[in-house]
Amino acid sequence: MTGQLIQSLVDALSAGATLGLAALSIGLVFGVIRLANFAQAEIITASAYCLIFTWELGWFIAVPLSILVAVAMSLLMEFTVFSRMRSANPATLLIASFGLSFLLQRVYELMFSNNVRTAPVASGLAQTVEFAGVRIQLLSVATIVIAGLLLLGLHLFLTRTSMGLQLKAAAADFRTARLIGIPAGRVIALSFALSGILAAAVAFVLTVQSGAVGPTFGVQITILALVGAVIGGIDKISGSLAGGFLVGFVTSMLATWLPQEMSNFKDAYVFVLVIGVLLFRPSGLLIKGRGVART
Amino acid sequence: MSIADDARFGSRQPGRGLRVEGLQVAYGGVPAVRGIDLEVKAGEAVGLIGPNGAGKSSTLLGIMGAIARSGRVLVDGQDLAGLPPEKVVRRGVALVPEGRHVFAELSVADNLRLGAVARRDRTGYSEAMEHVLTLFPMLRDFGHRQAGLLSGGQQQQLAIGRALMSDPDILLLDEPSLGLSPTAVDTVFEALDVIRAAGKAVLVVEQRAEFTIAFCDRTFVLHDGEITLTLKPQDAEKVDVLTKAYFG
Amino acid sequence: MSEPVGVVNASVTSSPRGLWCRLGPLWSLVSLLAIVYVVTLMNSFLGDSVQVQLQYALVNLIIVVALQIFIGTSGVLSFGHVAFVAVGAWTVGLLTIDPELKRNLLPDLFPFLFDLNAPWLVAVVIGGVVGGLLALVVSPVLMRLNGLQAGIATFALLGVVNQVLTYWSSVGPRSGQSMVGIPDVLNLQTTMLFAMAAIVAAWLFQRTRPSRLLRAAREDGIAAASSGINVVSQRIIVFAVSGIVAGVAGGLFALTNRVVQSSQLNIELTFVTLAMLVLGGMLSLSGAVIGTLVFSLVDVLLVRLQNGVEIGAYVVSVPQGARAIILGLILVGMLLFRPSGITGGREFVWPLRRERPLPGMPPTNES
Repeated sequence: MTGQLIQSLVDALSAGATLGLAALSIGLVFGVIRLANFAQAEIITASAYCLIFTWELGWFIAVPLSILVAVAMSLLMEFTVFSRMRSANPATLLIASFGLSFLLQRVYELMFSNNVRTAPVASGLAQTVEFAGVRIQLLSVATIVIAGLLLLGLHLFLTRTSMGLQLKAAAADFRTARLIGIPAGRVIALSFALSGILAAAVAFVLTVQSGAVGPTFGVQITILALVGAVIGGIDKISGSLAGGFLVGFVTSMLATWLPQEMSNFKDAYVFVLVIGVLLFRPSGLLIKGRGVART
Repeated sequence: MSIADDARFGSRQPGRGLRVEGLQVAYGGVPAVRGIDLEVKAGEAVGLIGPNGAGKSSTLLGIMGAIARSGRVLVDGQDLAGLPPEKVVRRGVALVPEGRHVFAELSVADNLRLGAVARRDRTGYSEAMEHVLTLFPMLRDFGHRQAGLLSGGQQQQLAIGRALMSDPDILLLDEPSLGLSPTAVDTVFEALDVIRAAGKAVLVVEQRAEFTIAFCDRTFVLHDGEITLTLKPQDAEKVDVLTKAYFG
Repeated sequence: MSEPVGVVNASVTSSPRGLWCRLGPLWSLVSLLAIVYVVTLMNSFLGDSVQVQLQYALVNLIIVVALQIFIGTSGVLSFGHVAFVAVGAWTVGLLTIDPELKRNLLPDLFPFLFDLNAPWLVAVVIGGVVGGLLALVVSPVLMRLNGLQAGIATFALLGVVNQVLTYWSSVGPRSGQSMVGIPDVLNLQTTMLFAMAAIVAAWLFQRTRPSRLLRAAREDGIAAASSGINVVSQRIIVFAVSGIVAGVAGGLFALTNRVVQSSQLNIELTFVTLAMLVLGGMLSLSGAVIGTLVFSLVDVLLVRLQNGVEIGAYVVSVPQGARAIILGLILVGMLLFRPSGITGGREFVWPLRRERPLPGMPPTNES
């Protein structure tokens, strides 16, 4: 029983870490330009396709390339679409990102067909190791480590470098940041680029997990990440991260521990929980009082 | 006041002032500022007073390029037309926004560092930091404290310090006395006096008419987006003028 | 709720209007109905293959009208209306499938559902009632939220409803399967009448007190609050009404599609209908109608092109799959270059008068 508990905890931590990263990638951009970018899903998908198609060239090519693709797509979205919508309100921006998401999915269908593409990406990580009677998925551990390293790096970047500090300031109060001379375009581009890197990490974990990528690969996690970011407090970088982690953790635990006939409804429970959180803490769990998330 | 004597404090080329000609600002077709002309010379403080909604803040935001405007905003004879705020700061104009808006979750030191992002040079940074910390010694003591934990008066000092870090020739302040205790207001205006004496052009928007008129070299009364009166320091005593200033 | 009378209320009701202006809204209604009629007539020129597509378009039109009733009035985003469509479709499915067939195909149903049966028209009405009831039940919770939070919460509602319908075999097919055997009773003309009825209902509803108060509150939340408008309770009414319309649309979807599956009533439909609304312009009923029809007609055209169209000596065709991409491009382009939609949020007005714009979306926050 303890073995199963530890196993499920590790799995839940890893699910939480993945979703936390995905939510963070949305929250980073939202903090700066109030865009909850649903098309983040297609960045994840593109990065995953890249891993699948280039894996046979070796991980040292595939992984950097997949990061590059994610960052490039993220920046491309900003420059072609979102930078032209600066005065739109968050609701319109969200719809626009939905539109972009829909559009890109169809493009992927046309390019790569509706069928999933498969490749044994980092199959070594798919094994299970037994440790003191506890069976643990290597991938779960790897996910937690990757997330930890990324968060540490991001933290150091945000607190120790001038660009990071500027991004942090812009995420906290974009208007004032501009008024004191922080260049808007550069900071926004930076937030999209970082968001792309996080998306690439999410894509890596998910691709190793499933080994198969289709046109709507990134949609499921992005929906949950968006939900997580909002209930955690999308106005704050830490809020998005914590909310995403929470949703991932709870969903994973429910999947393990709910009785069979109820586990079909696990997403429903999570959604009910989400509505409850929004009712009592509309600005997010981590935000005190009324936040600034406006229509 | 040793800083005031220090000729290097502030700009290396004194004499750059601000000229505004026919400034107009509108929100969604509703005019807020209807053609303002004003000039602030180096080493001069100019006040802008008037009732709520008169267009005082809009004037400052218009100068900063933060809202759409027409008319000319000249610094050193060069028009700032079409420049976004971050470029305007690089031309030597800095704003201390209404409500201070320090970055509450960042430390005092980080707030000051961010103010220096728009510096036109890379060399004067530590010098500027030293000047700001001499002007507001409190900031030195609280360098590592979160800015959000400072009192209102301390936050105002931080906001001014942050603006000075970009080494501006022209300093715009939007209601620096708002919500501050009388002693805190004194601290702020003593600092403004030093800044003015150091050769900077200071344009301050205020609600406290009497105080502002006495402090500034000239004070304009703004009403419905237009300048209706120009006052000298000695007018501060005249109550009827003040009444007129507020009720048109 | 008490009846507060305040600044906002006065400003909505007493703006001076001449006779023409008073007839203006009626003109907009008549022209919308005429457009729907003409588009439906096109069926006779375009052939039978288009008939089916047009019927789906009209069902979508009703969903979009339901969306517009809520989003256009409250200014709050909803990703949840397809949940009401889904329960409407489920209701009509359960009430119209032959009892014998039901016993065989849906063995896990609550026993009382086996013999519950109704004529299709009654079933559609009940579908609307169920949709409205669901909206009413969840609204005290959802209507307190604004902005992105409201979007996410309504989306969560869709998630809950969809999963319950997918897996709860006591009210439908076993997990993930579809409900079949829905009778073939609905034709294009009848669907058109339903669509027209939905437009008339939405038009009439625009003239009621809750709708006007809510639009006033959308324009100026602070003034509304200070004049004592209880925004939440007005929203609840509007949400429930739009839930009824969406439920009816769901019933008609079931009768049009004749197969109901939860996966068809999920995010994709939410997105497509929202896209139609955005395309036309969220803030006006005309926007809902025009957006749906333009979107659908472009779709009809693209399907034709996919199959190849002879123009002179050439056969023009677009590749399979390009259709969805073109629709996506149209939507994104619209959001980029004309975010208020084709109609710009205005209703049709008497063409000899100057346009009287409906006020736009609440002022956007800079950055």
